[in-house]
Amino acid sequence: MASVEVGEVRLPLSEAIYISLQNVRRRFARVAITTASVTLGIAFFVSLMMMASFQAQVGGAGVQPYMYWLLFISLLVCGVGITNSMLIAVAERYKEIGTYKCLGALDRHILEMFLIEAILVGGIGGLAGYVIGLVAAVIYAVANPSVGLQGALAALVKPNPAVPLAGALPVAVGLFVLGVGIAVLLSLIATIYPAYYAARLNPAEALRYEI
Amino acid sequence: MALRYEYTVETEDLAKYYKMGAYIVKALDGVNLKIRRGEYVSIMGPSGAGKTTLFNMIGGLDRPTRGKVYIDEVDISKLDAYELAWLRARKIGYIFQTFNLIPVLTALENVMLPMIFAGVRREERIRKARELLERVGLGDRLYHRPTELSGGQQQRVAIARALANDPAIILADEPTGNLDLQTGLEIINLLRQLNKERGVTIVTATHDLKMIDVSDRIVYLRDGRVERIETRAEIAVEAEEY
Repeated sequence: MASVEVGEVRLPLSEAIYISLQNVRRRFARVAITTASVTLGIAFFVSLMMMASFQAQVGGAGVQPYMYWLLFISLLVCGVGITNSMLIAVAERYKEIGTYKCLGALDRHILEMFLIEAILVGGIGGLAGYVIGLVAAVIYAVANPSVGLQGALAALVKPNPAVPLAGALPVAVGLFVLGVGIAVLLSLIATIYPAYYAARLNPAEALRYEI
Repeated sequence: MALRYEYTVETEDLAKYYKMGAYIVKALDGVNLKIRRGEYVSIMGPSGAGKTTLFNMIGGLDRPTRGKVYIDEVDISKLDAYELAWLRARKIGYIFQTFNLIPVLTALENVMLPMIFAGVRREERIRKARELLERVGLGDRLYHRPTELSGGQQQRVAIARALANDPAIILADEPTGNLDLQTGLEIINLLRQLNKERGVTIVTATHDLKMIDVSDRIVYLRDGRVERIETRAEIAVEAEEY
């Protein structure tokens, strides 16, 4: 019997990114739900940290230990939300995953597409969360006479050592980096299980699946 | 080199059993088939006869419980995941009842997809995808998404996609099942033309009687076994008798 002369099977990163980008654009309603979960978590994180920094600027209490606990819980809830909505996204695309496999996709190509999507969702959600959190914190400062807009602006351009990991950067920049970073990381971690599940699907079963 | 293999598909005592609780369902139970290069074979049989299971086995989408499947004389049950993916990309083109185009991509991008996996250069991918879409009569629909195409047009895109890497065999599972009579007939004729002009082996599972006219051979499946095989000559004789 003849032996196979197996060639290459590949999915260049640029193509994987393009397909994921199309998925995000064309399935905007689904992606928006996942993104909303990230946005809320990051908005909460950013606003809480900024408000605490404002308080510290005007001689208030600043970042309190209980806040870390609060943030941890809120981000955990947000992560569960992403996992849940990614699992549904996978179930919706069983047939598509089966089709990709028929066309030559390897398990890791499927994994790659979902993880790139997670990075996109995390990035968009983190950005939106940062903006919302910033706006919320500034509104808080303006409404609070003891802080005021001046106090808020002064606090934003000054580093606050109490901000975890990014204490050396000005608050506005540090929380941006940290907020978007956490969002991407959280989205990635939450997507690993659904993406792994999708990648392992047997193509015959995936194709049989009817929604 | 291309004509090295006489048989594109060969199955040997092929069986697939599914466990359903306490029962064992024998979806396929000892199927022996030999399909020559360039043949157009229809597999007929009632629902549950094992057509789709046979497809999944020939297409390398599922592993048999027993027996062997050879594609171009390679025993595909011995292949690992990477080799199977390569086989699916290069040797086999799939056409489905539900078209199964990628909804977020345009017609052109859908046809280019298998060529991406096969590592074809970008300019070549675009050129070939265009050419194939023009061949199936969709030269003016390159940038439409599946939702903007009719069922017949979607199936044409799927046919172009199946041909993208010049496969040895095209597997079409009920390709006319979701189409009206006229459109179904157009799709069947298109498949037959492509079979003749490109020499690609075509195997379709169907209960569409229109397929009989274009098939070189018809394999009747029942309860996971080959009930009988008719060649075109025999069909013609039968038709005269009536």
